[in-house]
Formats: sequence, structure tokens, C-alpha cells
Amino acid sequence: MNSPSERPDVAAILESFRAALAAAGTPKELEEVRRQHTGKKSALKSALGSLKSIPAEDRPAFAKSINEAKNTIEQELEAAKARIEGDAQASQLDAEWQDLSMPGVAFPRGARHPLNLVERNITGVLRRLGFEVVDGPEIDNAYFNFDALNIPEHHPARDMQDTFWVHGGLLLRSHTTTVQARVLQERSQADLPIRVASIGRVYRNEAVDATHLAMFHQYEGIWIDRGLTFAHLKGTLSFIAQSLWGAERRIRFKPKFYPYTEPSVGVDVACTGCDGDGCDACHGAGWVTILGAGMVHPNVFREFGFDPDEVSGIAFGLGTTRMAAQWAGVSKVRSLYEQDLRVHRALHRGAMEGSR
Amino acid sequence: MKLATDTLARFVDLPPDANDVRHLLDDIGIEVKRIAIEDGVGQMTLELLANRGDHHAYVGIAREISGRTGSAIQRPEITDLTVGETPWPLALETDLCPRYSITCLERDAANDASLAPDALRILEAAEIHSIGPVVDATNLANLELGQPTHAFDADSIDGAITIRLSRAGETCWPLFQVDRIEIPEGTLVIADDSKILAIAGVIGCEDSKTTDSTTKVLLESAAFDPIAVRKASQVLGIHTDSSARFERGSDFALPVVGAGRVAKLLEPCGWRVTGATGMVGDWVDPERHITLRPALLNDFLETTMTTDEIAKRLERYGFTIRPGADLTTIDVIVPTHRLWDVELEADLIEELAKSLGYNDTPISLPPVDMGSLPTHDEHVRDLVEEVLIGHGFYEVITDGFYGRASRDRIGVTEGHPLWSHVETVNALDRAYSLLKNNAYAQAIEGVSTNLRVQNRDVKAFEWTRTFHPNPKAENKVCDERKLLWAIASGPERPESWTGPGRPADAMFLKGIVEEIGLALELDLRIGAADPSYPLSSCLHPNRQAVVTLKDRVVGVIGEAHPEVLKQNKIKRARPCYLELEFEALLSAGARPEFVEPPTVHPVERNLAFTLPRGVEAGDLTRTLLDKGPDWLLAASIVDLFEHEQDGQPVRTVTYVLRYSNEDANRTNDEVNAITDELVATIDAEFGPRGVKRRA
Repeated sequence: MNSPSERPDVAAILESFRAALAAAGTPKELEEVRRQHTGKKSALKSALGSLKSIPAEDRPAFAKSINEAKNTIEQELEAAKARIEGDAQASQLDAEWQDLSMPGVAFPRGARHPLNLVERNITGVLRRLGFEVVDGPEIDNAYFNFDALNIPEHHPARDMQDTFWVHGGLLLRSHTTTVQARVLQERSQADLPIRVASIGRVYRNEAVDATHLAMFHQYEGIWIDRGLTFAHLKGTLSFIAQSLWGAERRIRFKPKFYPYTEPSVGVDVACTGCDGDGCDACHGAGWVTILGAGMVHPNVFREFGFDPDEVSGIAFGLGTTRMAAQWAGVSKVRSLYEQDLRVHRALHRGAMEGSR
Repeated sequence: MKLATDTLARFVDLPPDANDVRHLLDDIGIEVKRIAIEDGVGQMTLELLANRGDHHAYVGIAREISGRTGSAIQRPEITDLTVGETPWPLALETDLCPRYSITCLERDAANDASLAPDALRILEAAEIHSIGPVVDATNLANLELGQPTHAFDADSIDGAITIRLSRAGETCWPLFQVDRIEIPEGTLVIADDSKILAIAGVIGCEDSKTTDSTTKVLLESAAFDPIAVRKASQVLGIHTDSSARFERGSDFALPVVGAGRVAKLLEPCGWRVTGATGMVGDWVDPERHITLRPALLNDFLETTMTTDEIAKRLERYGFTIRPGADLTTIDVIVPTHRLWDVELEADLIEELAKSLGYNDTPISLPPVDMGSLPTHDEHVRDLVEEVLIGHGFYEVITDGFYGRASRDRIGVTEGHPLWSHVETVNALDRAYSLLKNNAYAQAIEGVSTNLRVQNRDVKAFEWTRTFHPNPKAENKVCDERKLLWAIASGPERPESWTGPGRPADAMFLKGIVEEIGLALELDLRIGAADPSYPLSSCLHPNRQAVVTLKDRVVGVIGEAHPEVLKQNKIKRARPCYLELEFEALLSAGARPEFVEPPTVHPVERNLAFTLPRGVEAGDLTRTLLDKGPDWLLAASIVDLFEHEQDGQPVRTVTYVLRYSNEDANRTNDEVNAITDELVATIDAEFGPRGVKRRA
């Protein structure tokens, strides 16, 4: 039987524990404190093991004091753990400071050409009207480029389209209307309606400068059906224009001349800079021409075996090169046809990294 | 054409504000390109419709305004001329001149008065320089009425005036030219017995022009064949207000009226008409009749115009209206100034639409059943573009042609498969002489362009079309092929603070091809270089490969040949090029077979081999897979170390062999034994070629 003086000193155990705990600054040191003060060989375990030697009348009180000490140690260990881990995490976070003002490093995307974006926009609108996109050759003959489209030899309209001729008597198409002519020839016996769009490169043999190109792009559409009217032409053009330029944008129609349409129509949208009042951007006109159109000329229908008393047609063309320049905000369209990738990067990603 | 609003107001009522005049002109299809307003007067530059020669004059524009607004037209005063005995001998030897008139005017030598100041101001507004009263009067009459006239000094004329075609070797001295020029045979000219007096409808000549001392003029006022004038103007490169008017078809009824206007303008200057006006040419008004169906018109425009309203509106434009053959039609007679552009009922409908105002007719959307879906072509393009854009490529657009220098710079000489081109025959610029048969030349030039502006990070692509001479083609000239090309030069990733990274080389483009193949579900493969590929000699001989699809070559990848770089003055860059046939990309694809990921992680073993130059790592990969057991899932290259061994450049390639362990009972001994067998196999097959296992 232990005499009271030989009994484990619970207070001393606690004091020893607290001294060790105070010295522990890392999770590893804390674990060592836990092991030394709560493990099998700890003074606390040893004290518990000595209970049998404690007189029965003293045993409950002594056991209680040990349990209280054990609970205290565990609570203080948990508190210390939370503190030390918190400190450690704070220290880690502090060490892991990263300068996020540095430029991002994800692989930067490239981009489609502005012209491609414009064409996709238009195609999206025309699909809602049931159009399909068709393709045709760039080297064509005078029949599809001129004669079939009501442009006879020596017609002044050919002045508008100075032509690149190639060996073999063929030419580089001066408009994508050639594709429509081919469609009319191929589908003269087909079911109506015919709704096709033709997109592509066209060529004009003229002096090239910052705003004039020998090769540029057009987007044309043709809709053949019974009962199409001039009102339908205007409605269709209006739908296209307002789908592309915004429903609130004012548009206007004006007479034009195209050999293959009658009546022929030009469509203007109010200038974005002045909404029609006239400003430097629109050279005071207030309006910007965006497309040319018209009702398919009866001679064109007859050429391909359609009866113009039975069917009528809507034809339209958009100068996508100009539209792309407008989208890009460039005044010199030539820059879009050069391969200076600084231009393309700037269009899609803004000023270079580090700029003001 | 340039005009002033105050002058136009003499011919027809106009809105008081010049800006409103502008909008009115725009509304009727006469586009005002520029306007300068000073003291309320608008000086306008007009862009006229190509088919409307009658718009090249104040009266023509006034008539168009009248058609829209209903205001009456005020015509300029004219001197009534009597057509009779010709004042000068005339001979017409061609049918390209439907009408030719000569009027003789004389003045007292002492009278040298100019035209009235307001008349000169009209010329000034049109930027026509004053030369003298006679020439000024002819210019002004043309500006007002659209009838060009020309005055000859009568004293310079030698014998009869003949309208004929020029003969071989004939020369003349056109006004404002520095010297005599040869006239192509068959050109429509006005001549006397010894010389050419004028190129008909285009320009007069120095040796018959009027001067300050001229006291007797022969005033020509005629109608010429538009094509004849157009040809002469084009071939001689001489373009005048007169030729612009005649080329678009003049009013054949107007010559005498035009001469009368000139005579009236010259009266205050002391000039008087002497005798009758001489006239040759057998033209008579054909009185073109067009039947107009009001019901069809109203259906087409979705309007409800009455017959009376239709008639009134057409009369404003100068049409004559008569009752039709039955109550449902109107008989419309075309005025002489519109014989060139009004032939059909549709033309009349256009006139009426203009009269109503294009912005004021009804508008409706036709019924649409349903929309359409993207085509397969569009879908393929989308997928490919996403791959390229995702890897930093920008889409560019290049011309469809280039010059011979571009061809030469990629090392294409006679006999090369890319030597032959479709050629343009009339290009204004040498840079457009050849239709491109490859996209490589322009791709390389693109790199050069970027390096010149110090942009070393180049990744560009384009969908383009090339032209390949082929007499057996449908058009008997060439085939057109669509292709995708891409070029990469500089770092794989843009320059960054993270370091230079690896270059965008042929391996990078190989990866792009693989990604495109995956996107399109096509089994695109990289195969050994094919010297017969047209571009092969333009690429680095040891850094190129073909792209195949189902064993057919559909494209190429490769680094630019150093000689090509030299010719293009490209330094410190090694661009790599890729091209793929568009048609091949449209092929039907198949999704890769789905393989369930293993539930138990595979057992892995690393193997490193040292490969001398010329031994391809892919050959070892194939051998490992071919000779390995079924449960060898993959032999993947995970590292490459380039170094020297015995003074020779070698590569050490590390493979990870991944063995299936689905039953979790694969033992280390079993895996090691198989791996050792594979090492022995490699040693047997590749050892003689210098391949060694590296520990």
C-alpha cells in the first residue's frame, strides 16, 4: 500500500505536461508531447496503474483527480493542436504568397478571322430563314459571271467589275452571283422554294491600295418561290439588317442598279456614330450602305427556264469585307488581308500585355 | 457628277434645306457621296446609276425628282433650229451614228463676250474650267440637257465632214494630248477630207478646235453608238464627260435640241445661227410599247394604286400612257431618253416603286416553314478551327494569286511539279500574275511579314483554294482544290516570364494533326516523307512527313527548307508548315472504340533505350507492343534526352510499359520476366542498329 507521500503527484504531472506543451511549436513536437504525457509510458498511465495500491477509501478521489488531469491534458492538447496547426497553416500561407499581378500563363487561344465571324453571323441569321450554303468555282466563265446575269458584252455594268481574265478564256469570278446562276441552272426543275447562300472570294482587277483590294469577299443569297413580292424583299432585308445590326437600328431603302435584279435596292443602316445625323465617320451621310439586293430580273429567270410570271425571287448580297472592317474598327481594310498577326491579336485580345 | 442645289432648283422645286435635298436624292437612287454647304447652297458630288445615262444632266435629275415629288420641270430655253439644207457637206459612212447634225454659227470679230457669270458659275460648280464662250456653251448645254456637242472652227475644215470608221495607220491629235496618236483601225471618227476632226463622242482634235479668234463654228450635235464610243474611250484611255454620256446611251431625239441650247447660250455673246441645221442618219423613234398590268403591279408592290394614279406617276417620268388592249392593262410608251433601260413591265414597276418611294411601300416577311441546319462542311470547319484556335492559331486570309517571285522564292523551277500555274492575262499588278497552286509560298511570306515587324510568335491558318492546270478538267483549264494550311514559327507558347519553352516545330504540328483527327473522328496518321509530294522539295528533307487517311496521302507536315528561308530572307526562325486536303477532312469518321479504364491500377515498368541517329522511337514502340503480351496495355514515351555518346549525337528515350493487373494477382516476378523478354527482343532487333538499353 502506497503511503500518501508515495502516491503519484497529479499536480506535478500536469505541471510537467504544461511545461512540455508550452515548449512545443510544431505539430511534430506536439505529437511528441502527446506521446510522452498520454502514452503507455507516461506518468499519467503510470499513475492510473498505481490505483490498486491506493487505500480503498482514498481510491475514488485519487482516481477522479487522475481522470480530471487526463481530461485536462487532452483538452489542452486539442487546443494546442488547433493553435499550432493554425499557426503552421498561417505560416505556410504566408510563405506561399504569389504575385498574381504577373501575367496569366494559360495557353492563349488564337481566333477566327473577323471575316469568318461576320460570315458565321450572317449564316446564323439566314438559317433561321431556311437558307443552305452552297459553293461554286472561283474560276468561271463569262456566261455565269455576266451573260446569264443580264450583263451583255460592252454593257457599262461590266465597268463596275473590271475582270481578271485567265488563260483559256475563263475569268476569276467578280461576284458570288455566279454560284446563284449555277444553282438556278441546276435546279430549274427542282421543287420550290430555293433558298441558297453563296460565300466566298471574288476578284476585281483594279489598283490596290489601303481600302481597295484585288480579292475580297462577298456573301449573297437568293430565294426563289411563287408569290414573292417587293414587300417580301423589303421584309427579308429588314430582318437580315436588324438581326445583324440590332432591332433598334434604323434602316432605309434606296433605288440601285444591278443588271440581274429589277427593281434593285440598296439598304443603308443609320451610322453608329450619329444615328443618321451625319458625322465624320460616315462622311456626313448619316447612313452606311450595307447590302445590295433586288427582285430577280425576269431575263435571268428566262435564261434558266423559269417562267417569271409563275415565280419570283429575292436576291441580296452583303459586302462582308466591309462588314468585317466595320466590326474590327479598322479603316484600312487591307490590314485584314495581310498576315501581320499583331493586328489579329490586337483585334481579339486588345492591346499587348503590359500596355497602358 | 458634281452639281449645285441652287442650279438644280432652276429646273425643279426643291426642299429649301440642302441636307433635305441630299436625302431626297438618296431616296430616288442618286447617291450623294459628298456635300459641302455654303450660304445655303449645297455643292454635291453624285454617284450615278450605271444604267442611267440620262442622269448625267440637270434635266435628267430634275425629271427623277419630279417623278417622286410631282413638281413640274422647268426646261432651259432653246433656239428653235430648222433641219434643212446642210450648211456644210456631210457624209455618213457607218451605221454606228444614228443621227449627226451640223449647225453653223457666226459672230462679229469684234464681239468677244463671255457667257453670263451665272452660267460660268454653274460650270465652276461642276469643276469644268472655262475655256471660251463656245466651248463653255457646249459644256453647259451638256450639263443641263445631257446632249454633248462639239464645235469645230469652220475655217480649219477641209472639205466635207464625214462620219466613218478610221483606217489603218491613221493618226490624230486629240485635245489636251501632248502629241499625235495612232487611232486603232475601225474607230468611229469624224473626219474631213484630209484629217480626223474628232474621235466620235469622245474628244475633238487640236487642229480643228475653236480659238479666241474663231468667228465661224460648225456645231456638231449627234447620237453615237454607245459601244463604239465605249470601245474608243477604253482603247485610247481617254474618258470625258461626253464619252461618259454616250457610253450609257444618249437620247437620240436630243441632238437638235442640244444644238439649240448652245445657240441660245451663245446669243448674248454675239453668235448667231446661219442657215438651217444639216442632219444625216436615219434614226426614228421606235415608239416602244409596254403592256402594264395594274393588278400584277399592285400584287407585287402590295399597293392599291388606281389606273389613273399609275398613269400620272409614269407621266412624270416622261412616259406616254394609253388605254390597254383590254380594261385590265395599260399601254405605256417609253420616252426616247429611257429607251436604253426600260424594256419590260418589270422596269415600269420599278419606276412606280421609285415614285412611291422605296421606304413608303408596304413591307412584310414571306412565310418561312422552318430553318436549316449547318452543313457537314460547316461542322467540319468549326471543329478544326476550334482545335487550331485552342492551340493559339489565328485565321488569316491570303490572296488567290501571287507573282512569279513568290513561286521562285520557294525554290520552284521549271520541271518542278508546282511549276505550272493558271495565269491571269490582264492583271494590273505583277503580284497577281499566277493563280496559286500552293499555299506554302504565302504562308512563308506571312512568317517573313511578321518577322519584319519583330513578331516572332507566328501561328496562322487559312482555309484556301488552289488552282491546278488540267486540260481534262471540266472547265478545260484547271481543277480547284480546297485545303487547310497552318504555319507555326517561334515558341510553341507565346513568349512569357515562365521561360522560353519549346519551339513550335514539326512535332507540334504533328500534335495538331492528331488533335484534328480526334476532333473529326478520322484516323489521320503521320507517315514517312514522300518525295513525290509536290511540296516535298520545299521542305526540310529530314523534317517532313506526309499525313495519310486510310493509306491515302492527304497532306504534309514539315519544316521549311533552309534554302526557302534564305530566299525569303528569314533568319533565326524555323517555320513549320502543315496542309490538309479539305475533301479528306469531310470523310466519314468513326469514334474511337471505348476502352473501360482499369479498375486496378496497371503495373508500370520504365525502360530507357539509347537510339543512334536514324532509328525512330516509333519503331521501338511498335515492336514493344507487337511482341509484348496481350496484357501489355501501352508502351508510352515519357522522356527524351539528347546527348552525345562516343562523340556521336544520340537520344535516350524512356518508355513506360503499362501492364494490366485487373485480377490484382500479377506478380513482380511475372512482370519483370516479361519486361526482360521485351528488352531482349529490342536488343535482338535493334541492337545491330546501335540501340542499347540504358540503365
